[in-house]
Amino acid sequence: MSFFDLRGTLKPLTSLKQFGKNPHTIRYPEVPVEASDRYRGFHFNEIEECIGCGNCATICMNESIDMIPIEGVEGDKGDSGLRPRIDYGRCCYCGLCVDVCPTGSLSLTKDFIHVSEDPDTFLFLPGVENPDAKDRKTYVSNKETSLNDWARIPMPELEGKERVKSFAEVVLGYNEEQARQEAERCISCGICTEVCPDHMHIPEYINAIATGNDEDAVRIIYDNNPLPELCGKVCTRRCEDVCAIATRGEPVAIRWLKRYATETADASDVIKDIVNPEIREPNGKKVGIIGAGPSGLTAAYYLALRGFDVTIYEANEKAGGMTMYGIPKYRLPLDSIQKQVDYIMSIGVKIHFNTKVGKDISFKEIYENNDAVFMGVGFPKAWTLGIEGEDANGSMQAVNFLHMINSGEDVEIGNKVVVVGGGNVAIDAARVSRRLGADVTILYRRRIQDMPADWEEIEGAEDEGVHMEPQAIPIKIHKDDKGNVKAIEYLKAEMVQSEDGGRPRPVAIEGSNTIMEVTAVMAAIGQQGDYDFIDKEYADQIKIERGRFVVDKDQQTTLPKLFAGGDAANRTADVISAIADGFRACKAIDKMLIG
Amino acid sequence: MEREKATTLYIGPQHPGITGNMMVRLKVEGDTIVGARTEVGYLHRAFEKLVERRNWVQSFTMMCRFCVPEPDPVEESYARAVEMLDKIEIPERAKWIRVLVLELARMSSLLLWHAGQGHSLGLYTMGQWSVGDRNYILDLFEELTGARIYHMFIWPGGVRRDFPEGFEDKVLRTMDYLEKRLEDYDNLLFENSIFQKRTQGVGYVSPEKIIEHGVVGPVLRGSGIKSDIRIDDPYEVYDKLDFVVPTQPGGDIWARALVRRVEIRQSISIIRQVIENIPKGEVYTKVPNPQKWKIPRGDAYARTESVRGEVGMFVASDGGRKPRRVHFRGAAYVHAVTLLEDVLIGQNIADVSAIMNSLGTCPPEIER
Amino acid sequence: METLLEKIKDRVSVNFDLKDHKIYADQKRVDLFFKKEHIPSVLLYLKEQMDFRHLMHMSVIDWLEEGEFEVIFLLWAPKEKIKVFVKTRIDRENPVMENMDNIWPQLNTYEREFKEMYGIEFPGLVAPEEFILEAWTGPPPMRRDFETDKFAKDNFATRPGREDAQDVRETIAKRSGEDIPDFAKKYSR
Repeated sequence: MSFFDLRGTLKPLTSLKQFGKNPHTIRYPEVPVEASDRYRGFHFNEIEECIGCGNCATICMNESIDMIPIEGVEGDKGDSGLRPRIDYGRCCYCGLCVDVCPTGSLSLTKDFIHVSEDPDTFLFLPGVENPDAKDRKTYVSNKETSLNDWARIPMPELEGKERVKSFAEVVLGYNEEQARQEAERCISCGICTEVCPDHMHIPEYINAIATGNDEDAVRIIYDNNPLPELCGKVCTRRCEDVCAIATRGEPVAIRWLKRYATETADASDVIKDIVNPEIREPNGKKVGIIGAGPSGLTAAYYLALRGFDVTIYEANEKAGGMTMYGIPKYRLPLDSIQKQVDYIMSIGVKIHFNTKVGKDISFKEIYENNDAVFMGVGFPKAWTLGIEGEDANGSMQAVNFLHMINSGEDVEIGNKVVVVGGGNVAIDAARVSRRLGADVTILYRRRIQDMPADWEEIEGAEDEGVHMEPQAIPIKIHKDDKGNVKAIEYLKAEMVQSEDGGRPRPVAIEGSNTIMEVTAVMAAIGQQGDYDFIDKEYADQIKIERGRFVVDKDQQTTLPKLFAGGDAANRTADVISAIADGFRACKAIDKMLIG
Repeated sequence: MEREKATTLYIGPQHPGITGNMMVRLKVEGDTIVGARTEVGYLHRAFEKLVERRNWVQSFTMMCRFCVPEPDPVEESYARAVEMLDKIEIPERAKWIRVLVLELARMSSLLLWHAGQGHSLGLYTMGQWSVGDRNYILDLFEELTGARIYHMFIWPGGVRRDFPEGFEDKVLRTMDYLEKRLEDYDNLLFENSIFQKRTQGVGYVSPEKIIEHGVVGPVLRGSGIKSDIRIDDPYEVYDKLDFVVPTQPGGDIWARALVRRVEIRQSISIIRQVIENIPKGEVYTKVPNPQKWKIPRGDAYARTESVRGEVGMFVASDGGRKPRRVHFRGAAYVHAVTLLEDVLIGQNIADVSAIMNSLGTCPPEIER
Repeated sequence: METLLEKIKDRVSVNFDLKDHKIYADQKRVDLFFKKEHIPSVLLYLKEQMDFRHLMHMSVIDWLEEGEFEVIFLLWAPKEKIKVFVKTRIDRENPVMENMDNIWPQLNTYEREFKEMYGIEFPGLVAPEEFILEAWTGPPPMRRDFETDKFAKDNFATRPGREDAQDVRETIAKRSGEDIPDFAKKYSR
């Protein structure tokens, strides 16, 4: 080609047209440089919303987040008390901590300039050191692109209309794949363990299920709970209320996962093979336990593992207490309880059934022949309604009704039943009556949302066709000539705001009497203890307040050799509290007798 | 005593003509190169070892750092390899957004190439313009992803966020502006007779070398072979888009420059098609909790077409929560070591920089 | 697609001793497993006779528990657009692999890196000793038994100022009096 190329020389000279043009300049610092609305700059944390779960510290791939205690934040139930601090020498602003935060309190802001001669200022507490950055949030957590799994795997259940026809267990349980998927949702923060009365090692056993080691999960559970299948089916699950995922989604199904793990051990000798407990040599000390309910069985199991000689005295024919005789079979099959009790007996715990203390054997004898005594006697007596006609045939206590049904006896209730009360006992009695073919109504003095029963039970009852009559106060039971129940009369109530700001209370409306024809009335308005079995010389030394034994934090009563737990000693009155009481009493007895 | 005819010269690691931090040890006789040896090792950050301690989601944040000018194809190949291993289906809208991000990254990297190629021959104005125009694309990235260079936006399961308000209009306006500017680049660079004379016949890559060295990308297309992963092994939604893959028969720097010149226009056209046809929907399929996500045993290899050529990510899993092996294959792994040493023989010292820019040598890809 | 992949496998197994194979139709890929000694002839055959001319990648996976390295060659046929993964296993104690850079010169770079990073010997390889690492005297770093966090802790000092960091699980356990048994601690996070 020719050396001189006219076109190739002149064309580039057209770039001279840029000569007079102004370049695109941002006159910083006169004009502030503002980042975009999604810029990933420094962090900001809402200290009040943050629960200190530490998920941000776990996901940070540069290990630049520390959880530290800060002033003004107290750890409490549902909050670990720690807050994140970020080392900006290591942070790469990827934003994974924001996407993984369950509450959404952590976010990134538009700030990106920090100049300082002191390198320690680069260890930064977001939210505390930059409270004004709240208005400059850019990269925030949203539920659709968050890394947390908000929805729980639904639990298969028998359908409402079908299940009233029998006492088959309503909840079907997870299969293996569902359990592993549900276990993967857990972020292992551990906030749930503080709220559990027994402090079960929840993140550990959930992680064991997620990795496929169901046997390890069973061993971890049995470390401080010898009746886990029971809890896995009927626990009140306070853990799930404070689950970190529950802040914006559905809590991890901690109870159902416990149930899944324990169901893999399908017979009591299988449990023994898996748990393979280490039983210490007998240490020569004897402990007597009154009542084979959950608290008594727990204390017995762990004392026996520590080498004590344990004997339980149980008034009923079978062990389990309220769980055996108060919870209906469709919630808790009887062979499930029996399996767990058989395992406890197989490690050397002796139980004397049909032995009522105070009648078949005296309290004094147990007290003097043992080095320590634990009482898990519960609240067997029910409150009466206190209305006219309560002595009619067909008017009964709900707890007695459930006791008879679970013992296999037949109870005549007719075809129209009314249950008075709003707790779990009332709902249980109502649903059992439905299964016996009756038409059931529940009368409760307050509104449905005030009912203390488990909301899953209330929903289950409504699905099965139980009628709810809230704001109803019964005043009289009508009898026919033979003395049988004919009808119940009740007043409607209205909710009146309390003057001192407490919760509204029901006030009966004059003249609103309603009469409902019924064939049976069941009262389920509460229970109390029966301590007549204690000989007078000891009863004077044991302090009882408001119907319960007064115990210290080690479950010891005012009589040093005597310990108590369960419904008769605590105010929460559920299974897991009873188990926790038994476990604490065992440790205290061990320390007192052995050291 | 023997007289050596050849002298040893070092170009790099700090040299304005070198595209990054690497060194080329040249043996020269007079002005002609008789031997070359690439020395790398200045940029080793050991990412492939570091991901052994990080789980699948944490590892994705390291992927963008494999290549500085164009981080998105690397993120995308990692995300696609993980999705192949765990059989995850991502939503349609996520695929279109990924294509948009990839093409914007391609444009920004091509603008950087303009700067590099111009600088290597002494045309410094080119760099001032194209790096300045590249900032408009980086502004778009900042709007969409939240960061300018290391986006960390494409992850297994889709993309992290949806378009912000008014984003589509901004993209189209930027594309209109850049298309006008391409005419100025033509006038300055491609029509420039000095550029043409200095690049024609220089840095010739023969067809035999292509197979032996596993050459990819514009180097392959500049030697007359039509091959582009976007049409040979289509991924995301490239099979639904309409674009031209240019080839040139020359095999020298001039041919490769012409190929890249057409590619930047094709990218603008693809971006316009994406904005017009993108469907509505979600942008992310939830993957399990990152602390407990296990992927079954196996391995997968995902390839993407970046500006330099074929970029691939080989991912192997042993059934656990952390990757067993993540191995990145950058185009420069071949182009900058064996091919460069071969092509440089017989060239002038003054052309070394031009050849390196034209082959697309990028040291972070070699050393990872 | 499946039949095409089957045909490729059949043709190779006729000429060579194929240990195992696996077909991924959706990825257009077929995996072929061979013993170490057959690899050079297999690769040459695939490249010359069956049009798998483009070597996409070569990789090594360290299976520490099994005591073996897995070496994988990834090939691509430009005309038929199919991938073949040629896999083999070599012993981890004395890893030796054939030098194949006369088939594809780019393998020179790969082999240099694997020699440095994994300690695999390639007899006949002509290349300078150092590739990526400079003056490294430790064990081959990409092997799984080389732990980077231990190396960092032993050789570098941590910057002070972060000692008050607490573990959330331990803080909660201490506050509520929970006693986590030792065999359960490995499941804590």
